[in-house]
Amino acid sequence: MTIDRELTMSRAIVEAIGTEMRENDEVFYMGEDVADYGGIFDSTQGLLEEFGHDRIMDVPISETAYLGAAVGAAQQGMRPIAELMFVDFFGVAMDQIYNQMAKNTYMSGGSVSVPMVMTTAVGGTYSDAAQHSQTLYGTFAHLPGMKVVVPATAYDAKGLMHNAIRDDDPVVYMYHKRLMGLGWLPAPDGPKTPVPETDYTIPFGRADVKREGADVTVVTLGLHVHRALDAAASLAEDGVDVEVIDLRTLVPLDRETVVESVRKTGRLVVVDEDYRSFGLTGEIVSTVADEALDALEAVERVAMPDVPIPYARELETEVLPDAADIEAAVHEVK
Amino acid sequence: MSDDRVPLVADGAWTDDVDEEEGIVVNWFAKEGRQVEAGESLCEIQIEKVSVDLTAPADGELVEIVRGENEEFTVGDTLAWIAPEEA
Repeated sequence: MTIDRELTMSRAIVEAIGTEMRENDEVFYMGEDVADYGGIFDSTQGLLEEFGHDRIMDVPISETAYLGAAVGAAQQGMRPIAELMFVDFFGVAMDQIYNQMAKNTYMSGGSVSVPMVMTTAVGGTYSDAAQHSQTLYGTFAHLPGMKVVVPATAYDAKGLMHNAIRDDDPVVYMYHKRLMGLGWLPAPDGPKTPVPETDYTIPFGRADVKREGADVTVVTLGLHVHRALDAAASLAEDGVDVEVIDLRTLVPLDRETVVESVRKTGRLVVVDEDYRSFGLTGEIVSTVADEALDALEAVERVAMPDVPIPYARELETEVLPDAADIEAAVHEVK
Repeated sequence: MSDDRVPLVADGAWTDDVDEEEGIVVNWFAKEGRQVEAGESLCEIQIEKVSVDLTAPADGELVEIVRGENEEFTVGDTLAWIAPEEA
């Protein structure tokens, strides 16, 4: 038996980008502090040395300018990857993101496509306050025209990045800071996985059952896949068998896997690090209500309350769903 | 027989950049029992906020990790042992 090489999520992402850049001269990366610094969350670590400043480009602090440049380059046939340092900064460039990047294919009657990837760091847990801690999954998944990817493990991150770069439509690739494996922001056990050295793709719209179980379905993504798995391990000791579904992509959304699981368990807990209202939890619950209402015996939502994310560590820990909150919700539906 | 083992030493080859003598192991990229190749990244350490990859000193089996993730070390410490393929 061979024991595979393991990679952190950031290294898995970089490996996919490096491979695509080697194979396709049209692929390039631009963003703030992505060249000499290697990305503040290590999203481009080591790429400058191999590809140089023409293809790993630091940009001025104008998200509107460089995201707009990426849209133009994509329409002209290049395959840009443009990094929005924190997803929280999307507001300053929202016209470029949701009116240009997301809609130009439609508005041009299909005469141009926009094969770009917008990478962005999401998530809290490290006291970075209300303007640097959001996930905003729902905000991006809500607007038509963008595919939305949220990896939870190094293996998934690499396959999803290969798929994102090869996709002919705009993809928003949201990586959780706490999962990247940084020295100053240690990851939980789980995101670091064996990763094949060869390239492979993971298709969009296919959720992954990270743990099979018969009693309760937990649907989540990103960091909370690992918190749900922790909760499931603890619940198993009490004899509760939890199924954990990692959505992996929000657009397209694998509703079928969720509905199938609820038909089996009858009990649903949806866990989201994004705000509770108008978001993922409501979308998943209403999907199941639409398609399998007769199978649904009990349902709970675990999400960020509708408040700005606090800076104070104790307060942030309080509002951000943890494994104990998920356990409690599972007990509620049992 | 353990005499044949080759140590992975935090040898301070990065000291041009840092003065600090103590660091922390951040990530292991291999588990005990894995065959590794000389030169491949085995672990990432952090010292004075600088991240450094330490590479395998020889082909062989990673038989023992002495300092796990989040454990501290001092320059000169052995972090792991490798049993070379052909001793």
